[in-house]
Amino acid sequence: MRTTRRESNEIQVDPVDVLPVKTLDGKLHFRTVTKKSKLAEADPEEAEEDVLEDEHILNKSQRRAKAKRVKGGKETRDGSEVKELSAEESFENKKNRLAELGMLLLSDPEANIRSLKEMLDISKDENAKIVKLCLLSVLAVFKDIIPGYRIRLPTDKELEMKVSKEVKKTRFYESTLLKAYKSYLQKLMAFERQSVYNQVANRCICTLLDAKPHFNFRDNLLTAVVRNISSPDEVVRRLCCSTVRSLFSNEGKHGGELTVQAVRLIADQVKSQNCQLHPNSIEVFMSIRFDEDIGKRDREEANKKKFKKNDKRNNQEEQNQVQENERKKSKREMMSKIRDEVNADYKGVTYEPDAMERRKMQTVTLSAVFETYFRILRKTMYSIGESSTEEEDTTLNPGAFGPHPLLAPCLDGLAKFTQQLDLDYIGDLMNYLKKLASSSSVSTNSKKKNSKLLTVSERLRCCLVAFKVMRSNLNALNVDLQDFFVQLYNLLLEYRPGRDSGEVLAESLKIMLCDDRHQDMQKAAAFVKRLSTFALCFGCAESMSALVTVKNLLQRNVKCRNLLENDAGGGSVSGSIAKYQPYATDPNLSGAFASVLWELNLLTKHYHPAISTMAGSISNMNTSQNQTFLSAVTPQQAFADYSLVKESFEPKNESRKLSNKRKREWW
Amino acid sequence: MRPLDENETTVVFEKIFKFVGNNLKNIVENPSHEGPEPEPGRYCFRLQKSRVYYVSESLVKRATNISRKSLVSLGTCIGKYTHAGSFHLTIMSLNLLAANAKHKVWLKPTSEMSFLYGNHVLKGGLGRITDSIVPGDGVVVFSMSDVPLGFGIAAKSTQDCRKLDPNGIVVLHQADIGEYLRDEDEL
Repeated sequence: MRTTRRESNEIQVDPVDVLPVKTLDGKLHFRTVTKKSKLAEADPEEAEEDVLEDEHILNKSQRRAKAKRVKGGKETRDGSEVKELSAEESFENKKNRLAELGMLLLSDPEANIRSLKEMLDISKDENAKIVKLCLLSVLAVFKDIIPGYRIRLPTDKELEMKVSKEVKKTRFYESTLLKAYKSYLQKLMAFERQSVYNQVANRCICTLLDAKPHFNFRDNLLTAVVRNISSPDEVVRRLCCSTVRSLFSNEGKHGGELTVQAVRLIADQVKSQNCQLHPNSIEVFMSIRFDEDIGKRDREEANKKKFKKNDKRNNQEEQNQVQENERKKSKREMMSKIRDEVNADYKGVTYEPDAMERRKMQTVTLSAVFETYFRILRKTMYSIGESSTEEEDTTLNPGAFGPHPLLAPCLDGLAKFTQQLDLDYIGDLMNYLKKLASSSSVSTNSKKKNSKLLTVSERLRCCLVAFKVMRSNLNALNVDLQDFFVQLYNLLLEYRPGRDSGEVLAESLKIMLCDDRHQDMQKAAAFVKRLSTFALCFGCAESMSALVTVKNLLQRNVKCRNLLENDAGGGSVSGSIAKYQPYATDPNLSGAFASVLWELNLLTKHYHPAISTMAGSISNMNTSQNQTFLSAVTPQQAFADYSLVKESFEPKNESRKLSNKRKREWW
Repeated sequence: MRPLDENETTVVFEKIFKFVGNNLKNIVENPSHEGPEPEPGRYCFRLQKSRVYYVSESLVKRATNISRKSLVSLGTCIGKYTHAGSFHLTIMSLNLLAANAKHKVWLKPTSEMSFLYGNHVLKGGLGRITDSIVPGDGVVVFSMSDVPLGFGIAAKSTQDCRKLDPNGIVVLHQADIGEYLRDEDEL
């Protein structure tokens, strides 16, 4: 039923679109919508309340209250309408004003620098949307007008000097710009604390830092960005991390100093937060690029200093050689002179610091990065060690990110930067990794919480990193990492497909077993046996990666092919162990040579054609004619190909086999 | 023939521990399938004429029937006591040690012969080395094809080995299988 009272505030909705409601009294009420939908833009909270209310139960007092809420507080129909329009109009006006000022500034910054102040004043408005728009538009203006150099305000002496009009003009422009920038930044910092403006403020800060990392106040910007690098809000965090990453990769813009600072700040944050940060915060370290020979060059210089003592002896030898090459020497000198001149000119133009400074900065960065990594490792070790002694964990409650959030990116980073690590620390690092890898997640005491102990994937990662470190520091000495092999052997038993990452397993199989040049016979046989049992227990992907590893090992260690023959007691090759111990913890003592690979027989009847063919080919390895090729598939590839995530049942093997004609021969 | 007493057992075990570490319990508790008894017996140590032997229990039982003067040897001789009273492991314990060794070193084919003549192992002849070796550890020496060649004492840790020059001594020689030819009479 329509009443005139309601027409003032509400628009009638066509009953065809919205069905009427029948109350218990038997009356029909038609749905209405308020005119306040336009104000909803400006005051979102209020509008939501309005729309949600049941408008058809309005009475006089409620209407009056509503009219009062509208700015101005007039009760008459005309008054309220006038107020609504003006709010909307003012919104439009402000937007237009912002746009005008922005265009003015962009077209001629020097003349219109005062308009910046006006723009900033708009941000003091109550309307949240206006403030956000204002911040963003000022950001766009600053991005364009900030010059490519740091502004240094003139000292008192310089102010006293008489200067030309132009210089005065530039000085005025620069000082106004700097003042406005400063107040803008202060506003941003203040807004950042309020949750309404948090995202916008952060976006502004990040964009400014990204675009103009050379300008004044960059330290404050950097502190703000790094502070938010682990924020629970994902948008903010991703913004900050990508900014930091771009800082690291575009070192030319800021001359490397910001890298050092950023790394130092992150390290301090890790320390203060006691390693409870989001993994993204450490992943940014992966974007840092170091010169390859930082540490080595220092060592060479130190060596050179030592050898200076022997200079007198060496000089005589050198003199003889020098006389022969005088012409070449003079040529070389000329070339080096020219090169030096070019370098000096180049240095004057760019921001790049010279080699010594750069090396110093990189050394500082490197040490800070490694300090963070070692701190994370140590913390993980302590948290594991303490959980075995204390039953109550008062200090070790896992934070919002899980028990060891930073461990995985820390290990990845270590694997990437091991070449920069000094030999002395490698021993310590290996000890830590050994202890971490051997911490098991099975506890006998039910009171102890298992959450602090490392998962299978983390332990696998430790083994992986240990191998990568060892491989990159080979130094002509092939070290056999026995303990990590023992760990891998046991981890194979503890692996569970849903809980643990299969890719890490496949990668560790590849790096530890397939890539190694020479394998201990007993150990290889033990792994072959356990991996084939492993292949029986799990799905397609894991089985395939295990079988690929088995094939690789059997092709390389000819004596292990004894396992394919039915030779009871191991025959002549086995050691003193007469019987196979399936649950042995040490691969060397498992007595694998006393067993036979009966699992392959079962696997030839697998439902997946690729696995059955692979098992068949392994069984026939001894008797087949062609054994000269090594399979090109790695366990990781096999895992990726056959993983259920892709859910493709096409036997992809065939395309690869067709490329190699030999493979067709023996089956 | 008599079983070892307290002191002697400690001394023998200490020597073996240097080489095998925690696998010592494997040696002591190894089930032996020798003999007609259905249940596997164990291995034990016996002393005869200042030589220590590692024998299975079933064999020991039958050896008690032989008089002391006529008994030459039983089981595997692992070492002997010198006149001064100290115990040394001989080359004949190599099989036992090699199967349970914690620290291993693999020699390059070129330096195998040098070791078999009784020389120490130099860094240049090292093919592979186990991690985490401490100076003073017992080390078993293998060839690249995993044939045990002998054993010795580590002179340097694995870390130090990396910085060593190629003529530095890595393993001090104690026994090698060339002794079977050289010192035939003494064994």
